[in-house]
Amino acid sequence: MIPTFGASFRRGLRAFAAFLVLFVFLCPVLWMLITAIKPPGEWLNSPPIFWPSNIDLGNFTEALGRWGGFKGLVDSLAVASGATLLSLVVGVFAAYSLGRFRTGGETLSFSILSVLFMPPVAVAVPMYLFWRAFGLLDSFTALILQYTVFNVPFICWVLKSFFEDIDPTMEESALVNGATRWRAFVDIAVPLARPAIVAVALLSFIFSWNEFFFAVILTRARVTTLPVILPTLMEGHDIRWGSIAAIATIAALPVIALTFALQRYLVRGLSFGAIR
Amino acid sequence: MHAVVRRKPAPALSGARRRFAWWLMAPTLAMFAANAVFPLLYALDVSVRNYQLLIPIPAQFVGLANYARVLSDPLFWSSVEVTLWFIAAVVFLQLPAALGLALLFNGLPRWAGIAVTVLLVPTIIAPSVVGFQWAQIYNYQFGPLNYLLGLAGLGHPVWTASPSLALPSLLAIDFWEWTPFLVLLLFAGLSALPPDVLEAARVDGSNWSQVFWRIMLPLLRPVIGIALLLRVLMSFKTFDIIYILTAGGPGAATENLAYYTYIQGFRYFNLGYASALAIIQLVVVAVLAKALIGLTRRPGLASVS
Repeated sequence: MIPTFGASFRRGLRAFAAFLVLFVFLCPVLWMLITAIKPPGEWLNSPPIFWPSNIDLGNFTEALGRWGGFKGLVDSLAVASGATLLSLVVGVFAAYSLGRFRTGGETLSFSILSVLFMPPVAVAVPMYLFWRAFGLLDSFTALILQYTVFNVPFICWVLKSFFEDIDPTMEESALVNGATRWRAFVDIAVPLARPAIVAVALLSFIFSWNEFFFAVILTRARVTTLPVILPTLMEGHDIRWGSIAAIATIAALPVIALTFALQRYLVRGLSFGAIR
Repeated sequence: MHAVVRRKPAPALSGARRRFAWWLMAPTLAMFAANAVFPLLYALDVSVRNYQLLIPIPAQFVGLANYARVLSDPLFWSSVEVTLWFIAAVVFLQLPAALGLALLFNGLPRWAGIAVTVLLVPTIIAPSVVGFQWAQIYNYQFGPLNYLLGLAGLGHPVWTASPSLALPSLLAIDFWEWTPFLVLLLFAGLSALPPDVLEAARVDGSNWSQVFWRIMLPLLRPVIGIALLLRVLMSFKTFDIIYILTAGGPGAATENLAYYTYIQGFRYFNLGYASALAIIQLVVVAVLAKALIGLTRRPGLASVS
């Protein structure tokens, strides 16, 4: 069918509207990026300066060095990777158990899901005392385990329906041919659920990389993730807007890059097996 | 129990099967016992004592006194109101906007997936980064927003410091931060719709609004249910942008339930009172979750729980 003028006009209008929406939504992010490359005199101006007179990368060296951005980057990377790996192992096990064997029935399934909705503030005091009792305050272990607790229910929820949708006959014939249940799970079911596993891995990483509340409560000086550094710099009088913007940029870019790299898994993995 | 319910005959394996299933579940159960069940029981215990960290007398059992005090505390009710505003904004603003945007992006050619990912940037960046970005945007004297408003002659609001505008300012951030996430879920749902059904409806001569109301919306219902479930329950957890931008103020204008609990627990160290607040929240969240999960069910197909 040859598109009529009206149809291609509507398509163009649609594309224009989409661009407009994207631009409006990206404005605060663009403003941060612009501030990050502004020289000190141009951070605060009335009227505001929309493009710096010269691009100044000094903010980034100041952010990485003086404000502990480098340590923040390393710590964030350690916490987020550790929590993602642990969450994936624990979560994929549990999701397969729920999806394939209906372990514990509806009750267990709902209990696991309700942990996802547990307001962090509701368990903050006991968890503080819990980690203190083990001498694990301000440690990678505590933060990684704490984030895993919140990642696992989400992973279970998304992957459970994926495993339910996978036809069990392939696993069953592998069992008949002498494979162990473990091999049938690892070699057959897990590869089939790969798009969803990549999607939940990405979201677990993003959650752990960004998490703020428990990081504030459970850590001090030994472990400092990027999100915790930011608000401490926004206090007082001489606020270094440019280098805060640089730290914020350093905190934002890795998750943005990762999301774009894994973009095609996101839509496929998050359809929740809801519509077949 | 499992062996009895199962229809397919696998009797020889059922013991091994069940053992395997529970072994896979064991790490999750161990972790939840330590990090979910223990803190809940602990909070429950503290909530019936007058436990104050700053007062060096042993905590006494006070029964339901903390709960009674919560119910007559005006600050509690105002924090409930703020929490309800965040929920209302999800249901009445974010969800309809996200549905519109998902339809808009779904009609784009090949780069629709990329466009949705670009839109997702506000959701994936850290909330504390979000707080910083909006502190810049809302800056009274030097912010770009007030500059543009000034050009249009619309005045110079103080945004997050104004009693009437502080909450709407935060709701705007919440909208900006989380509507894209709803767009992603709905877009994924739309992409999974069977194209032949929509095509058949069009060939039938149904117009756009008939296709939308009679076919798309009913088919999307489970996805909309999941989106609502996730976002409504997440909005109880809204904390970071309040902490960074308003600290609950001015007055208690932006103090939601989570932030009020935090203040009682970590600023005034009224652990008993804060625990009662926490338990009330948990009960409300659990009841809401149970109710909202009903929305995601479809006849004859597996549900989320």
